[in-house]
Amino acid sequence: MTPRIIAANLKVKLRSFSREKSTVFFTIAFPVILVLVFGAIFTKPEHMNFDLCVQDLDQSASSAQLVKSVAVDGVFRTISVPSDGSAVQYAKEHKLNLLLVIPHGFEEMEARRVLKRDRDASVVLTYVYDPSSTSVTTKLQFLNSIVAATNQRMSGTAPFITMLEQSILNKKYRFIEFFVPGIIAMAVMTSSLSGALTMNAELRQKGILRKLATTPITRIDWLLSNILYQLVLAFISTTSILLVSYAVFAVRLQINLWLAVYIVLAVFVFVGIGMMLTPIAKDGESAAAAANAFLFPMMFLSGTFFPVEMMPGFLQKFARILPLYYVNEGLRASMIFSNNMAAVRCAAITGGIAAVVFAAGALITRWDSVA
Amino acid sequence: MTGSNDYAIVVERLTKRYGDLHAVNDVSFTVRKGEVFAFVGPNGAGKTTTVEIIDTIRTPTSGRVSVLGMDVTKRKRDIVPRIGVLPQGFNSFDRITVSESIQYYSNLFGRKNTDVDGLMDLTNLQDKRDVQFKKLSGGLKERLGIAIALVNDPEVVFLDEPTTGLDPHARRAVWDVLLGLKSRGKTVFLTTHYMEEAELLADTVAIISKGKIVAIGSPEELIERNANYMCLTLKSADANALETIRKLSFEPVEDNHHNIKVRVQHTDDVQKILSAIKNAGISLPGMDVRKPNLEEVFLSLTGEQLREGAPMHGAPQ
Repeated sequence: MTPRIIAANLKVKLRSFSREKSTVFFTIAFPVILVLVFGAIFTKPEHMNFDLCVQDLDQSASSAQLVKSVAVDGVFRTISVPSDGSAVQYAKEHKLNLLLVIPHGFEEMEARRVLKRDRDASVVLTYVYDPSSTSVTTKLQFLNSIVAATNQRMSGTAPFITMLEQSILNKKYRFIEFFVPGIIAMAVMTSSLSGALTMNAELRQKGILRKLATTPITRIDWLLSNILYQLVLAFISTTSILLVSYAVFAVRLQINLWLAVYIVLAVFVFVGIGMMLTPIAKDGESAAAAANAFLFPMMFLSGTFFPVEMMPGFLQKFARILPLYYVNEGLRASMIFSNNMAAVRCAAITGGIAAVVFAAGALITRWDSVA
Repeated sequence: MTGSNDYAIVVERLTKRYGDLHAVNDVSFTVRKGEVFAFVGPNGAGKTTTVEIIDTIRTPTSGRVSVLGMDVTKRKRDIVPRIGVLPQGFNSFDRITVSESIQYYSNLFGRKNTDVDGLMDLTNLQDKRDVQFKKLSGGLKERLGIAIALVNDPEVVFLDEPTTGLDPHARRAVWDVLLGLKSRGKTVFLTTHYMEEAELLADTVAIISKGKIVAIGSPEELIERNANYMCLTLKSADANALETIRKLSFEPVEDNHHNIKVRVQHTDDVQKILSAIKNAGISLPGMDVRKPNLEEVFLSLTGEQLREGAPMHGAPQ
């Protein structure tokens, strides 16, 4: 091992990186954009609102009050539609995915129930909907809960069962706090795996490895400078993600030594996998294809964007053989739950995988000579 | 008499096989210190395989190769700091500039005082010092490759087809650099499929065909030994001249430009042909007589053309 050679390699790689705009974008800007986009979509459900078209056939003070109460908590922005035509026809013509119809006699029935205590008085609200629309289910859930609350109020009795939240954590965590560790792991994986794979394939295709083989650089120097380079990129990318997450979403995450440990382990794991794939990648294009074949399944099945528990059972089992799963779990254990035992367990598993794949990758990589 | 210490490279019965294919087949030769040795042959003849075994990138199937007295299979670590290599189709890091590339390779060799400016002067790259590699033309890339091959002040320099694909102007610029190396007393191992390059630059030429060396010697020796004739060219001659010359028992050939080429052994033969043409009343706008070149030597030895578009047998350069 020659520090001078490792430093020279690192310098040339970082220079190349800083001058290649697309690499800078995918390493730093892309994960940051993901955080911003997903954060904006999912972190503030209280600001979630839907348009709800209402056809009020009763045109009474009571029905107007119902429309107002539907809109009161801000989930729905109600839009009145004409009451003189077919609701189904109107929904079709205007491509509405949900149209609530308040029937004639609503006010009369309400008066009978409230004032005359007539238990048989009831109304049926009809909703006309498009079952192919993905947002209808969510809208109906909100609507049902509003209807249930109204019925409860009108019954005049206190609810028998109520719910009290008690978190096992000191504080409630939000989606963005679940999401950020996943994005950190994903960014490190993408940069390390595809970086190691495409860089080696390109250097080999261009004959640069052949030229390097006629210099005093050794395999150890080469591997270490690659690892150091990927570590620098991983820390730059992680820092950018965290800065944006703190600045824009005021995340509450634990930044401690575990973060550094997981970044180092993840770099070894994914550079190792990249090196193992290098022999099958003859050029830059096939390298990108081989990298994607590994990156995408890992990205979506390891709990990066949503909890693994949301997946079918067999996919949950599959997730547990993916290294990214343990990086995600370990980062969340340390950054969100302050669970050192879980962090140790995941670090041990990730470390074991890192040792195996890196050693295999290092053995497979024949950079210093050709056949 | 030449002692073993006078040789920079000794190759003995070198063979490299890929399955059933003999890329290099029982090749032996020596390269003296300080000489320019040209390894010449068409694509696929085994030039690059041979040079990559000598410069320690590939391993031989059998045979023995030593560089500066050291076995290439056993002492790669000792050989590498003392040689400089320009691989075929040299490439470097796209976004790194000329001066940074030279400095980078210099750092790999642990050279603290590499004369980066001097190397750029030698290769005429001073005004390109801050240009990134990907923006250089083919000729400039090759010249940078040569500068990089010299960062460690090597005793032996390997240049694998340094002018392939370059236009004549760029090729001449590379030749100037190679002549500079020769004047500095470097041992240069040059592979090429341009015979004029070998003829101009080399002290010794080895001709390789289908993995075997078919001739070796100085350009003059090779021509003397293998092409003991002269080429007479009659420019834009009347077609009747062909028949007239044939009647004298020569074998004239007409090329695409209506030039007639005839191999002759003596100056008397030239006189005999010219007299016959004059007597037949055939007009003759021009003519020349010259010794054959290495390209023709190669053709007569192997029956192959060195490269696509190479001049035909007897054609002038």
